[in-house]
Amino acid sequence: MSNYDRWLMVPALIIPAVASAPAYAVQYMNVEQAQKVLFPAAEGFEARTIQLTAEQKSAIEASSGVRVRVAEIKAWRAIQGGKPSGWFLLDEVYGKHEFITYAVALGMDGAVKGVEILDYRETHGSEVNNAKWRAQFTGKKAGDTLKLDEDIKNISGATLSCKHLTDGVKRLLATYATVLK
Amino acid sequence: MTLAGSQHSASPELVECVRARPLLGTFVEIAAHGENADAVQMAISAAFAEVERVHQLMSYQLADSDISRINRDGFVSPVAVAPATWAVLAAAEKFSAASDGLFDITVAPTLTKLGFLPRHAGFPRISGQGNWQHVALLPDHQVQLKRRLRIDVSGIAKGYAVDRAIAVLQAAGMASGRVNAGGDLRVFGEHAQIVHVRHPAVPEQMLPIVELKQGAAATSAGYYTQRRYQGRMVTPLINPHTRSAAGVQRSVTVLANDCMTADALTKVVHADPERAVALLGQFEARAVMLVPDVATGGCRVFDTSRLNPASWQTRVIS
Repeated sequence: MSNYDRWLMVPALIIPAVASAPAYAVQYMNVEQAQKVLFPAAEGFEARTIQLTAEQKSAIEASSGVRVRVAEIKAWRAIQGGKPSGWFLLDEVYGKHEFITYAVALGMDGAVKGVEILDYRETHGSEVNNAKWRAQFTGKKAGDTLKLDEDIKNISGATLSCKHLTDGVKRLLATYATVLK
Repeated sequence: MTLAGSQHSASPELVECVRARPLLGTFVEIAAHGENADAVQMAISAAFAEVERVHQLMSYQLADSDISRINRDGFVSPVAVAPATWAVLAAAEKFSAASDGLFDITVAPTLTKLGFLPRHAGFPRISGQGNWQHVALLPDHQVQLKRRLRIDVSGIAKGYAVDRAIAVLQAAGMASGRVNAGGDLRVFGEHAQIVHVRHPAVPEQMLPIVELKQGAAATSAGYYTQRRYQGRMVTPLINPHTRSAAGVQRSVTVLANDCMTADALTKVVHADPERAVALLGQFEARAVMLVPDVATGGCRVFDTSRLNPASWQTRVIS
């Protein structure tokens, strides 16, 4: 590798096969927190769970181009000044391996006011709990080593999750137009 | 890129909130520490609004962004853009000039050909000639194309958006903060972050490479963005001189004071690691490059820290 002789080459790092990627799961917020963030001025939320009929399902699929996997729509009407001020919709889409829970806020005109991720889960790599993997870090101190027990933020390479989420929002907008408007 | 966060609250009276939204074609995660939860949430909301503004102005995908307006009309007449867009284009010009064109926002047609950027119906045809030197930045935030080019600032605008979001958190009085836009990261305050980078050949394995106390880190690698084009795997990392895509199996992380610089320089390192070394020094940046070692299954780690060892604290594990 003389091409890179002006680069400092440090010893190769080899991680044994048992030590896969650390599991990553994060709860960003719960439903109440998301409602507050997306509708800060609302004084209350009325739950309006809706069961889609077969006809409604196909209508939503036809207009959004996205498959409707779940017939139950978890919706809340935000109330502000005694009047409805918008919709709060809770939904799940597939990430890379696991579901992402997210919320979409719609204004009274049906336009998206905001999207928040509530839960992001990634089950791959639970091998991090493997004792051998953890033992590698025994005795290491902050400043010159790793702080393993702290959680791992892993939201990169999320192109696929992002695509699924975009489809999910598209489906919810069609759902709004079909059954909530 | 991935990172581990110090989740201990350094000062018990501070509240931390973390949120994520889909923006910039990835998930953008923003965290901040502040005095009370409402203030922190408001600061994070404002930071997201800033990222969204950058997205609306500079997206290649959106047909009415500043970038799309330049691509549609910029050859015929000057296009007035937002000061933010103009600032990003000026920065792009600076990086192009400093790198002798190894950073170049005019590789967009190559990205479209390889399937990384959409084809816009109704956009004028390109000539296939010209480069960054033919993007003219005129007074009053006007931009004109001197050749029939198409530009894409996604190699730099994500870093800019991260920098803007950090500025919003700081202006809102947050004690510390972190913005991570799928591989582009910047932090401030007391909470050091361990930056993990994926093993380029085994991306489900994460390697902790450096502790970031302040400043930015941007990682770019092909493992999750690669796609098949005419039977071979290609990445959206284009060498502007040859217009060919970088190989899949190399990961580049650049550490710099701001995220836009880190973001731009990852492209230069991918295009030509040897020539990048001098440039990194010029921008007070440092690069860590991981190249898989087939013989051992591990990684060779190339690090330019020797050139400015005082800038960053490293802990490469062996």
